[in-house]
Amino acid sequence: MTDTIISEESAESVDYSHQPSIWSRLFRNPSVVIGGLLIAIIVSLVPAAPFITPLDPTEISPRNRNKVPGFETVHKDEEGNKYTQVAHMGTDKLGRDVFARVIYGARVSLIVGLSVAVIAVSIGLFIGLMAGYFRLVDAVVMRVMDGLMAIPSILLAIALVSLSGASLFTVIMAIVIPEIPRVVRLVRSIVLSIREEPYVEAAISVGTPTPKILIRHVLPNTIAPLIVQGTFICGSAILLEAILSFLGVGVPPEIPTWGNIMAQGRDLFQIFPHSIFYPGIFLTLTVLAINMLGDGLRDTIDPRMSKEI
Amino acid sequence: MDNPRHNNPVLSVKNLTIDLPRNADRKHAVSNVSFDVAPGEVVCLVGESGSGKSVIAFSLMGLLAKALNVSEGSIELQGEEIVGCSEDRLRQLRCTRMGMIFQEPMTALNPVMRCGDQIDEVLQEHTDFSSEQRHQKVLDMIAQVHLPDPARMYSSYPHQLSGGQRQRIMIAMALILEPVLLIADEPTTALDVTTQAQILHLIRELQGERQTGVLFITHDFGVVAELGDRVAVLKQGEMVEFGTTQQVLASPQHPYTQMLISSVPKHEPPIRKAIPADAPTVLRTENLHKQYFSFSFGRRRNVVDAAVDISVEIRKGETLGIVGESGSGKSTVARCITWLIKSTEGKIFLSGRNIAELSGEDLRQLRRKVQIIFQDPYRSLNPRRTVGQSIIEGPMNYGESHADAMAHARELMELVQLSPDGLDRYPHQFSGGQRQRVCIARALAMRPELLVADEAVSALDVSVQAQVLTLLEQIRDRMQLAMLFITHDLRVAAQVCDTVAVMSKGRVVEYGPAAELFNNPQHEYTKALFDAAPGRHFKFAS
Repeated sequence: MTDTIISEESAESVDYSHQPSIWSRLFRNPSVVIGGLLIAIIVSLVPAAPFITPLDPTEISPRNRNKVPGFETVHKDEEGNKYTQVAHMGTDKLGRDVFARVIYGARVSLIVGLSVAVIAVSIGLFIGLMAGYFRLVDAVVMRVMDGLMAIPSILLAIALVSLSGASLFTVIMAIVIPEIPRVVRLVRSIVLSIREEPYVEAAISVGTPTPKILIRHVLPNTIAPLIVQGTFICGSAILLEAILSFLGVGVPPEIPTWGNIMAQGRDLFQIFPHSIFYPGIFLTLTVLAINMLGDGLRDTIDPRMSKEI
Repeated sequence: MDNPRHNNPVLSVKNLTIDLPRNADRKHAVSNVSFDVAPGEVVCLVGESGSGKSVIAFSLMGLLAKALNVSEGSIELQGEEIVGCSEDRLRQLRCTRMGMIFQEPMTALNPVMRCGDQIDEVLQEHTDFSSEQRHQKVLDMIAQVHLPDPARMYSSYPHQLSGGQRQRIMIAMALILEPVLLIADEPTTALDVTTQAQILHLIRELQGERQTGVLFITHDFGVVAELGDRVAVLKQGEMVEFGTTQQVLASPQHPYTQMLISSVPKHEPPIRKAIPADAPTVLRTENLHKQYFSFSFGRRRNVVDAAVDISVEIRKGETLGIVGESGSGKSTVARCITWLIKSTEGKIFLSGRNIAELSGEDLRQLRRKVQIIFQDPYRSLNPRRTVGQSIIEGPMNYGESHADAMAHARELMELVQLSPDGLDRYPHQFSGGQRQRVCIARALAMRPELLVADEAVSALDVSVQAQVLTLLEQIRDRMQLAMLFITHDLRVAAQVCDTVAVMSKGRVVEYGPAAELFNNPQHEYTKALFDAAPGRHFKFAS
């Protein structure tokens, strides 16, 4: 019976089944592959840290203070036996091994990056959907969002830390709050255009309840841009956490993070640059990898966005 | 071809073949096409979407997309070969010897530049006139395209002009250097019928004065009948027929041309079966009124009356057509009736109950009785959901089981002449006409009493349009539906409607049985609308 339709638009009859799947397109994008590989390596450092170095990143050792990379430092194991270990990245002014600290520091950076991205995207998605779909909510919520956007995260972090004390949670909150409005704006703009689509109106006229319309017809359109936005948030959160730690308003100083390793190396920077240089390299590589992954994802999942941004 | 003008054509295209990229559905966008345009002649290229007519236009201007290339043949402009000609030479030829006007004047004009400056730019590029001379020339040209107050038009931005005025600016820009060839790519498709008539008249007039050769690209046989001297019919990149307009339209030789011309809806309404007097009224509106407000600071607000005092009635088995130009409020009425927007005042009786006052569960229960089909079949199906999921969504909202809804969906697919296997496929795997059938099936799945078709066939090619119209008629008769048919196309309205309401500026200016209204229009606006319809007096082959 389908043959009855003659002289249809020929552009239509392009066979889409031959188009490569999203996964094979992802694997063909160099930014995705390189960024993804780098992130995989850095992420694998977290569980593998005890196997990579036997040293405790918080172990203070006055005799090993300020040693240059390659110096053999002497340590004691649990039974009191002495052993030597090469300090690949030297030691800091308290004699702690920089290599061990950098490896363990990846943990905090990744936790902060990931949790900020997940929390900001989830809250932003919910608020954005509501604001985009319900006009009354929109008027109120967007003004609040404008207000939130005006708060610099560093000042907010200082305020939060002075109120509740330095902790990982405070740092995450301080970074999340100014990120939320950015996600809300993104989601809202997508929802505003999608809710005018005839297929959403068709869903309304066949009696689909509003929550179902939001989940079934509107939400899926926001996923691709949000994945992309999430990676960028993750990158900037890692950077911001390092800045906060560097300024001394971040995670408590006993927990190694790339930011506070650099902060503690600051005094002797000109004589012993290694304790700033190595964590700096890791930080740069991580943020670069995440941004490369985000760029690649954007080009692959949503080619239209690459022109808009 | 005995006309001596044809010995010196301004444009001569011979065996033109343009390849498509490798992964496309066919090998050539245009295959072995030959035609010529004589001075002072209008040649129409006509065909459905995908027939390659725009590709030909772009190849003449040297504006082909990079993925396409001319593999064979020649294009000669006054004897000069364009194929393979350098970019510099092409730039010189554009505007000076060939001009082009496009379908959408809003996007073809630069929104941040004054209209006069945009025309002036052409002169700056191609002539040595002083700025005073140029200014004067632009003003003269604006006057020649019959725009009022040339000085004001010169300093207006595109958004300050109407669609028709913008198209006149485009024409002024294309013709200011008096090119020998004007290429018009669907220049009136985005315009209302009365504006379209004016623009066609203008092109005819200017082209006659200057003896410009015109290559006019269109899908509308009415426009061809109105304007064309000769016409070439394209089908999937091949030219199936080329001859004088009279020959091709009145006695087409090729089966494809015959099929196309027989699909063109006629202006005269056919004789229709009378609706039985005792047929129950399904929908009645009383003084339906829709206002849009815009609030600004302070208390001032702008009020726009989108629909005023609409009182219409549709009985079971009857089709009411609402016709009008864009902005006349016809879609507003449809959206109020389907409760996609809330009416400001007035009553909408559906099966005797006033739905304008209902809310909550009562509204939900009544809503299923009115279903709507939208204009754009590409956007009215969620691309992420299979056709089956889209069709059963409604019935399942009202408690039908998945199995029952699917069984019904299968029946409906057969009813709309699609294979039930298609239920598992996604919308992009269907063509435009097939998608519109799916939309009809989705609407019918709700077992409605009133079907609203909001420009439901406007986006379809003429042959597909004819099929969808026939299908809608069959369904209406079979299920005894009441139908509200919104369209800007008088010919379509004439074919399917029992009663017609003509809307202008939010009001119904004329309302009555289709046969009476089409044969003897009373209101001035209706008369103007009918007069403007292109090809109205042409005798097409039947």
